Amino acid sequence: MVRVIKMPKFLKRNFLRNIFNKLIGKDKKLKIGLYGHPNSGKTTLANTMTNDWLGKPIGLISEIPHETRRVYRQERVKIEYDDIELDFDIVDTPGIATKIDYKNFLEFGLSEQEAKERAKEATKGIIEAIKWLDDVTGVLLVVDATQDPLTQANITIMGNLEARKIPFVIVANKIDLPEASAERITSVFPQHTVVPISALHGENTGDLYQAMVDKFN
Amino acid sequence: MDSSDTNALKMDFVSSEALKESSSMEKISMIVDKVKEGDLLVIEGGLTPTEEAELIETTMREIDIENFVGIDIYTLEKDKSSFFGLSKKKAIGITIIGPANVMKTVKKRENFLSMIANLGDSGASMH
Repeated sequence: MVRVIKMPKFLKRNFLRNIFNKLIGKDKKLKIGLYGHPNSGKTTLANTMTNDWLGKPIGLISEIPHETRRVYRQERVKIEYDDIELDFDIVDTPGIATKIDYKNFLEFGLSEQEAKERAKEATKGIIEAIKWLDDVTGVLLVVDATQDPLTQANITIMGNLEARKIPFVIVANKIDLPEASAERITSVFPQHTVVPISALHGENTGDLYQAMVDKFN
Repeated sequence: MDSSDTNALKMDFVSSEALKESSSMEKISMIVDKVKEGDLLVIEGGLTPTEEAELIETTMREIDIENFVGIDIYTLEKDKSSFFGLSKKKAIGITIIGPANVMKTVKKRENFLSMIANLGDSGASMH
């Protein structure tokens, strides 16, 4: 005799939802990468986010370009916006550039040896950041709103995200500075979501969290 | 001619036809080899996003701090019609790649690119 054990309704519902999520790939861990140029404010933004939602910073920031020279990861950040929860890992990557001249670091008071060391580490960091494009499932492209946004690094990052169908939000950072222009970024990338913020002062971060929930959830 | 030994700038113009049969790796090796010699490359068309990322990666591996500090890339885009002219997309018309320490000032506007090449103590301008 075969005994049929009936699965309770709520378990059945969870079971079906899990299968559905697996089918549409929604059970995959959300890994949001922070990409952009050196000194665009990626780590400042990562710190603002982890301070807001976990109460601690993720990494060191400085005026000298290429301060972040390896990928930092903060697991399990949970933000809640509009009654929607977004659970993800933050992947803070080194700034992507096509050139690194150690002489530029000398202007910031580093010794020649320190500058050369920083340049060497920065090249490795850029390679690591590019490799992470294979692993992230969403991206915040951080753009310094005081600079020309139409650079090869930004174009390459966006082209790769589009080709890999990775959703992204363009963060127009440093809007607290008088020379910043978020409109310039919107005008050159009209087809993408652009959110103007000041990561340093936490200005407009609510809009960013809202955009993240809309785009990545 | 090895342009790194002189105050001259060697420019290579490469047609899209010439690169049609090349693999991504061949294209990238050719670009990096030429730029490391101090040459400026003008390529008809552009690289794919994956090739651009690979080019940056390869450049980073080749940077030797003292002699080669990386590359600069600029593109000029053109309108590309599709679906019988119903939708317009941008396509890369020309790509200019050169050594970062040579390509000094670049001004870019729609349909116009201006560059000052820095050759040691002398300078050369091209538009």
